[in-house]
Amino acid sequence: MSKFDRTREPEPGAIRGYDFPTIESRRLNNGLQTLVARHGDLPVVTVRIVVDAGAGAEVAGEQGLATLTANALEGGTSRLDGSGLAWELERLGVQLDTWVTWDALHVGCTAVRDQLPAVLALLAEVVRTPAFPAGEVERLREEQLAELLQRRVEPRALADDMAAQFIFPDSNPYARPLLGRRESVTALDPAAVARFHASHFAPRHTAVVMTGAISAEEAHRLVERSFGGWQAKPAAGAVPAAAAPATGAVIHLVDRPGAVQSELRLGHVGLARDHQDYYPVLVMNAVLGGTFTSRLNLSLRERHGFTYGVRSAFAFRRHPGPFVIQTAVGTDVTVRAAREALNEIDALLEQGPTEQEVATARRFLAGVFPLQLQTTDQLAARLAELVTYDLPADYFAHYRDRITAVTRDDVLRAARAHVRPRELAIVVVGDAASLHQELADLDLAPVERHTINGHAA
Amino acid sequence: MIRIPVERFTLANGLRVVFSRDASAPAVAVNLWYNVGSRNERTGRTGFAHLFEHMMFQGSAHVPEMAHFALIEKAGGSLNGSTWLDRTNYYETLPAHYLELGLWLESDRLGWLLPAMTQEKLDNQRDVVKNERRWRVDNQPYGDWDERIQELMYPPDHPYHHSVIGSMADLDAASLEDVENFFRTYYAPNNAVLTLCGDFDPADARAQIERYFGEIPPGPPIPPIPGRSELPAHLGGEQRLTLEQDITLTRVYLAYRVPPFGDDGFYAALVASAVLATGRASLLYRTLLREQGLAQDVVAYAFPIVVGASMLVLWATARPHCTIDQLESALLRQVAALTEVSDADVERAIRMLEARQLIDLQTVDERADQLSMYTTLFDDPERVNTELSRVRAVTTAAVREFARAYLVPENRGVLRYVPRGGAA
Repeated sequence: MSKFDRTREPEPGAIRGYDFPTIESRRLNNGLQTLVARHGDLPVVTVRIVVDAGAGAEVAGEQGLATLTANALEGGTSRLDGSGLAWELERLGVQLDTWVTWDALHVGCTAVRDQLPAVLALLAEVVRTPAFPAGEVERLREEQLAELLQRRVEPRALADDMAAQFIFPDSNPYARPLLGRRESVTALDPAAVARFHASHFAPRHTAVVMTGAISAEEAHRLVERSFGGWQAKPAAGAVPAAAAPATGAVIHLVDRPGAVQSELRLGHVGLARDHQDYYPVLVMNAVLGGTFTSRLNLSLRERHGFTYGVRSAFAFRRHPGPFVIQTAVGTDVTVRAAREALNEIDALLEQGPTEQEVATARRFLAGVFPLQLQTTDQLAARLAELVTYDLPADYFAHYRDRITAVTRDDVLRAARAHVRPRELAIVVVGDAASLHQELADLDLAPVERHTINGHAA
Repeated sequence: MIRIPVERFTLANGLRVVFSRDASAPAVAVNLWYNVGSRNERTGRTGFAHLFEHMMFQGSAHVPEMAHFALIEKAGGSLNGSTWLDRTNYYETLPAHYLELGLWLESDRLGWLLPAMTQEKLDNQRDVVKNERRWRVDNQPYGDWDERIQELMYPPDHPYHHSVIGSMADLDAASLEDVENFFRTYYAPNNAVLTLCGDFDPADARAQIERYFGEIPPGPPIPPIPGRSELPAHLGGEQRLTLEQDITLTRVYLAYRVPPFGDDGFYAALVASAVLATGRASLLYRTLLREQGLAQDVVAYAFPIVVGASMLVLWATARPHCTIDQLESALLRQVAALTEVSDADVERAIRMLEARQLIDLQTVDERADQLSMYTTLFDDPERVNTELSRVRAVTTAAVREFARAYLVPENRGVLRYVPRGGAA
């Protein structure tokens, strides 16, 4: 017997305040923006250089060029070859990362504070004067091609790529992998990389973000020293994504003969980052499939045992990105799982969420916000978001208030406006022989069969 | 370098508690390590420690089904658990004012789990775990690598011979009686470590821990790990396996038996792993990728495991034109080169390991997990502060000596994946 009443959950203590760190933002004379925020009590600083040169900036025929350019930045500078550059950074304990999203190219690292002046000078060299030696660019292009091959046999990546291909029309850049397609990547060469750099890397299109054990004064002084003399010409604007027409539901069955599990994706075109319903949609998605106790996970995992997990997400980009539900389910329960997911969507749209569900989702999103800002890198990612989506410096100071202001009515309206079950592309990557008939019998949508290379089969 | 504050005490029932205060954010991490993992599983019940971990989220006597996840998410916290060879951990990161909620939930499942267990819950979580196995292993290229490497590197009667996820047949065989026996055997305060890290008042927290955990009785002595834990320092002959899968790129894994985590010799293996594959100036990246263009990626990892012997495992994925034999030879050449490793290589590796640790310790969750780990494995939470001195003590001569002693053909396992049909 317990000595006190364990049946009641304990009341929370007094809430402690949380303030998003203060951001000091400045521009150099050449237009380069700097954002600095002091954070944490460890002697480390994250530096992240954000260039307006994401995959969305690629022109037709050069898909995959932003990724190749980001990777080729580590191929060396006009002063150091690739190996020399790696040595200079890593003898200081610094691991350089370069990557792209659809909306930006990132160059980043986290360094021990004392090394910062040397590290920032090296990063400036990487961004301003990369050499793109032919041997390195060609090697990295071959690795990119091999990775594309790899994605065809890795069922999760294959399902992601197929979902993008079937959600977006071919004219929309988001229809293909961030890495590009085999045909376009094969054609890339050192000259294309140098051209992409020359037309997109410019101070007016670049921001330097620094977070951690550093004062704004020191950060601005270091940035002035490393980037003040940069006079590259501003680039042309990014190419806008084509508007995506709505399509009717289709079941796309991608055959992996003998697969013991089906990777399932249900998706349609979602919203851009600047959509006015951003916050209602965040809360709505948490209720539908964004948390462990979401409707989808409670149903597909905890009630039916179909899957290890299921989640839904909106990818908010400059242009409307995808809304996707993703899970992996046993081959024998694939069709039941797809139907359950659709039932959950229908129920949410018809009856709406309960007040309690909305309250839980709001409290979850507001509560984990500071928990996910513990590291200098997490904070730098938020600052980069301000740059890429042109948000005001005090934007995140109001984040939790905006979450908390979302009502049940907002969520219901957002669900009905932005989740459209009749338009979902349903992608099943699995054993077609055992699945085809059952999927056809669903009588939900026509079934189209494909090979892992995306061809009709 | 930094110093993480560490305070510890033990309850009368044997529960070891570690506190580390850090008020820089209004967050607190509650982290429990149970000194039980797949190594403790009996024959015919592989995968059970992990299946049991899932059952710990299914409610307990005073916590309704699904309430564990629901209450923490409603509080604005995150949570999970994981099972590995040596241990099972459970953790939540909470807004600081919800600390007591975490203590209530954790104490209830440690003290009062069994009344809430049902066949229906077990059957449901068995299905979930079988799907987890399909997702991680059976439906994933190279997904069975760790299972295969463990089979190659540890004899059948060693507790590391079988994988954490276990076999489908053994998962099918698991019963409610197994849940009860496992709980009574291993889930006791004297077999656990509780760590709090973050923004909390130590006196209040201590009183709450006494209140929530103090009345849970200690369990009987923990039975010894089944099978034969002792191992010779060397494998005693190369072990090889080639597998065909639906892949396009071949991959080679090399594994070497090395001293267990915590031994002085382990740190030479750790530094060797960073020399080999951490960063783009690493030995394998600069040769296999940059100079020779043979590989697509390289990884090296020294397992932090403690029973008998650990492993240094490295792998490389081939570019399409590179054959499996070319890849294996290229890897072996670089491993051999470690016997002549340079001062610069070793210094770079140590700087990378130091920075990594500093970066990792930024979150209260990671600090708490490391404190629980060092307390569970070595009864010494202070190792969170002293571990790097063991890394820094590794000299060039020590890495060369390690390579000569351990990175030899008769001490290695070789696992090769080739496309079905033997194209490579």
